[in-house]
Amino acid sequence: MNFFKTFKHDTWVKPYIKQYKGLLITALILGLFTSFCAAALMFTSGYTIDKAATHPVNILLIYVPILLTRAFGIGRPVFKYVERLKSHNWVLRVTSDLRTRLYKTLETDASFLAEHHKTGDIMGLLSEDISHLQNLYLRTIFPAVISYLLTIIASIALGIFNPSFGFFVFLLLFIEVFIVPMVSVSIESARRAYQKSVKSDLYVQLTDNVLGVDDWIISGRKNDFKNLASNNIQNLDKSKNKSKSFRRNRDFILQLVFVAMVVCFLIFTNLTMTHNQEQANFVSAVVLAIFPLSDAIIPVSQGFEEWPEYKDSIIRLNTIKPIQNNLPIQKDLNPKDFKSISIDNITFEYDSDSPILIKNFTQNIKKGEKLALLGPSGIGKTTILQLILGDLSPQQGQIRVNDLDISQIQENREKIFSVLNQKPFLFNTTLMNNVRLGNESKSDAEVKKAIERVGLKDLVESLPEKYNTIVGENGSRFSGGEQERIALARILLQDAPVVLLDEPTVGLDPITENDLLETFFTVLKDKTIIWVTHHLQGINHVDHVVFMNSEKIEMEGSPKDLYKNNQHFQELYRMDQGF
Amino acid sequence: MIDKRLFRLPGTKKLLLMLAGLTLLQAFVVLFQGKYLAEALVNSWEQKSLQTIIYPMALFAVAFVLRHLFNLINTKIVENYASKTSEDIRSMLLDKVYQAGPEMISEEGTGNLVTSSLDGIDLVENYFKLIFTKLMNMSIIPPVLLIYIYTQNVASGITLTIIVPLVILFMIILGLAAQSKADAQYKQYTILSNHFLDALRGLPTLKMLGLSKRYAKNIYTVSDEYRRRTMNTLRIAILSTFALDWLTTLGIAILAVFLGLGLINNSFPLFPALVTLILAPEYFLPLRDFSNDYHATLNGKNALNSIFEILERSSKSEANELKDFSWKQDSQIEINNLQFTYKGAGNNAVSLDIDKLKLSGYQRIGVIGKSGSGKTTLIRSIGGFLVPDQADIKINHQEVSNFKQINWQKKLTFLPQSPYLFAGTIAENIAFYRPDASIKEIKKAASAAGLNDFIDILSDGYQTKIGEGGRGISGGQQQRIMLARAFLADDRHILIFDEPTAHLDIETEYALKKPMEELFKNHLVIFATHRLHWIKEMDYVVVMDNGQIVEQGTPENLSNHNGAYSQLIKNMRGDQL
Repeated sequence: MNFFKTFKHDTWVKPYIKQYKGLLITALILGLFTSFCAAALMFTSGYTIDKAATHPVNILLIYVPILLTRAFGIGRPVFKYVERLKSHNWVLRVTSDLRTRLYKTLETDASFLAEHHKTGDIMGLLSEDISHLQNLYLRTIFPAVISYLLTIIASIALGIFNPSFGFFVFLLLFIEVFIVPMVSVSIESARRAYQKSVKSDLYVQLTDNVLGVDDWIISGRKNDFKNLASNNIQNLDKSKNKSKSFRRNRDFILQLVFVAMVVCFLIFTNLTMTHNQEQANFVSAVVLAIFPLSDAIIPVSQGFEEWPEYKDSIIRLNTIKPIQNNLPIQKDLNPKDFKSISIDNITFEYDSDSPILIKNFTQNIKKGEKLALLGPSGIGKTTILQLILGDLSPQQGQIRVNDLDISQIQENREKIFSVLNQKPFLFNTTLMNNVRLGNESKSDAEVKKAIERVGLKDLVESLPEKYNTIVGENGSRFSGGEQERIALARILLQDAPVVLLDEPTVGLDPITENDLLETFFTVLKDKTIIWVTHHLQGINHVDHVVFMNSEKIEMEGSPKDLYKNNQHFQELYRMDQGF
Repeated sequence: MIDKRLFRLPGTKKLLLMLAGLTLLQAFVVLFQGKYLAEALVNSWEQKSLQTIIYPMALFAVAFVLRHLFNLINTKIVENYASKTSEDIRSMLLDKVYQAGPEMISEEGTGNLVTSSLDGIDLVENYFKLIFTKLMNMSIIPPVLLIYIYTQNVASGITLTIIVPLVILFMIILGLAAQSKADAQYKQYTILSNHFLDALRGLPTLKMLGLSKRYAKNIYTVSDEYRRRTMNTLRIAILSTFALDWLTTLGIAILAVFLGLGLINNSFPLFPALVTLILAPEYFLPLRDFSNDYHATLNGKNALNSIFEILERSSKSEANELKDFSWKQDSQIEINNLQFTYKGAGNNAVSLDIDKLKLSGYQRIGVIGKSGSGKTTLIRSIGGFLVPDQADIKINHQEVSNFKQINWQKKLTFLPQSPYLFAGTIAENIAFYRPDASIKEIKKAASAAGLNDFIDILSDGYQTKIGEGGRGISGGQQQRIMLARAFLADDRHILIFDEPTAHLDIETEYALKKPMEELFKNHLVIFATHRLHWIKEMDYVVVMDNGQIVEQGTPENLSNHNGAYSQLIKNMRGDQL
């Protein structure tokens, strides 16, 4: 059965159950006590009344049951309250561990997360998977375990008085807490999977409706617009209606089994406990005590309903494996000693099936030199930056920093290289914290100085929270150009000798772009810069331009020389400048 | 507690009536269930034989089964209503998107709002499912039971009556306390809870900064801090549930003790005492159910609120004022005194104020200006996506108040900065304006747009799936698909371009220029751009600044004097080689 198969090689759920064992057991026992008190409250109340109805001569005779009634009445909510706190505490503790583990696993693949996990927002999915695991514990596992314990304890307790009745009740309870949930998982699993796939199609269609609305309006296809998703909506509704009707019928059956159990108890108590008044005083107690148990056993099936979703999460998390790195012995390179990067005749392909992306590429970049790398998109400009960083290794040729192979300086490579790309990532914390990430040992004054050098001082000081402004999710509080400047300030603090710029100005308007490039090349005056760009705006800032095409380096040289001597460059430049 | 707008939804009143009837029936079977159970138990207590309890026991079982049967019917009715109503809402929302979508999207910046509302429909459905039943149960079942209990035992009735307002009072007080505590921490709280996702998304950046390894410790610390804070809030937040639980179970305990003492004093027989005790949990049950699902209903309520907000926005549906016309060499548009203000901005924030603009024939008109100057707003007003507050517009001498006209938009092709590809095949995307086009026509248009080389290497050719969930394609090819779409729609003679090449590298742009110039022939072209080389291709240039046209004329004339045009060009060029 797929339920157990999912857990067979699982390393994301099972191992954590053993963690914080004390807390977990406390939570489970408290859960058990809650149900026990609920039943005991009805038991003692029933007994109190029955006993009182026999008019005992002395009120003290019902004093103990009265006291117990009060105690259980208070005990139930108190246990429940503490149980909820304890179980949440346990789950949140485990969550911290799971998060740390997920982070560490993904960290081994940090440079290639986007390439290796293509499906949409994989990070969002994974972090949601962990919330799913929280729910798996709180809504499925805990209630199920408590109901199993109750079943066992209640059956044994009855079995002591009457073994065959105890066994009979065990069977009924077993149907309620085990058979029905399992049957309902196996019936609903396929349906849920189908609903999920229809739903994701539906989501795509609704996105097409909303984000493509301009085109729909212009096309005048109003009916097509409205009917785009209708087929999927109908199918989804149909399937969901089946699920709903299944759920209603299932809950009804659970109640039928339950009422059968109550009737059995009525008959059993009538047959076995009516031999004398003292026994008969316990009849109501025993029968009434069953009712609160339905609170613990009926919802178990519901808890299993979300299982297909949990299953997907468990499977996805289990497929993520840390990447082993086989780096050679690491050498120390003092950033002050940086002299040159030599790219020596490298050839690169992603794998043997894909075409060769970079063929015999050679460049020598000396300290302080500014190099621009141009070429049509998809030609491997960004790949060259990844090769220079050592995230990728060439099949042939070598990349060296001074005389060290790039793979030998990976451990402290942030001391040599800074990277600024198209959409620099800003963490949703204060501006100050974001910039300080460049070098955490810098003082506030130094951080502010960096912000001033990138030309943000006036803007920042005009904000109400100034340097403590929260940058928002993905830096949304600031414009694209401003985000680049914040990232630049971070790089200034990092103070590495080589800066790699990966199309940092794409999508900005030319005036913003000019200002930004001006700032880049002014504050990074002393650095070695390798700049991937998509057009010729600001090309006057560099010493050397390399144009790549799919075959080879199409042309290279200083921009002034190229403009003088190369016709294609002239054409491109004149086009870019609108002459 | 319940939104009044709900009653305006079709079928709600009928649903409430049916539910009221069913719930009343349910209340009575609950009552009978308790009554006959008590009778059976009393007989057993009196040590009577099995025969004497068979009758009440059977009636008890029948009542119990009926109760859950009614519950099943009740759920079924409500679920049908919920799914039907939420589908209706989805459909209304889609109508609204068609009517006001472009305006909403440009105002909010993204389509997120609308997409999330559509996504929130599930929450709304759940809300419908819960709210009516729970409210109905709470308002019908306890009173019926209470009346019966009064007839059996007045003291118990009074006890139960007093507890309910106490419960509600406690819940309100504690709920408010939890709320204010949560509010105080809210900002910190959301940042903490999103910290993990933020860190995952920023992993490549952390790696670049050499922080990624050390940051793992930070993940744990922050997550643990989040746990600590959550626990602190939770301790108070679930106090209200605790209070409810505590008061109701204590209520039962007190009742039992009172009844016991009453029985000892011989004030009443066993039956009324037992039936009261059995019915007491049933009396509290609807209240507890309601509070258990309270949070689930809150999410749905908020989702419904944001949907209602969207639905209540004023919007103009596309008008039919403009009679059908065709655009020819001698056609013309006159725009006078066009004003448009973004909603939500301050009183005087006029976003667009066009004094006079004339477009005619197969002219190429460039719209330039720095970012935020109003280029896009002007272009989108002409495309009919935005409706100006006021404007005198003449299209071929027909007067209209805006460009949101079916017969105008039928003549347009619109190419935005980042074109949207629909989930479908390349052929379907090319034929978007003319879904009935033959594959031959599609191929011809694709070849005119220079797509041949690209499509030839695809194993599925024109049937290759693109868009969401399909093959990713480069920005250059996306624009070519848009161009093919424009070539195919050869009955549309007005082209509106909004910075179509801004994201492209220079060589791709260079390669696109030829098919675009081919397309310009026999078209009125309105072209917003900040790429300088396009300006050269224009017959007429409109320079925008601050929502106004600051200069207009042929590029030659404008470049002859040092006005806004020359200034802008100079800034855009930057330093020369």
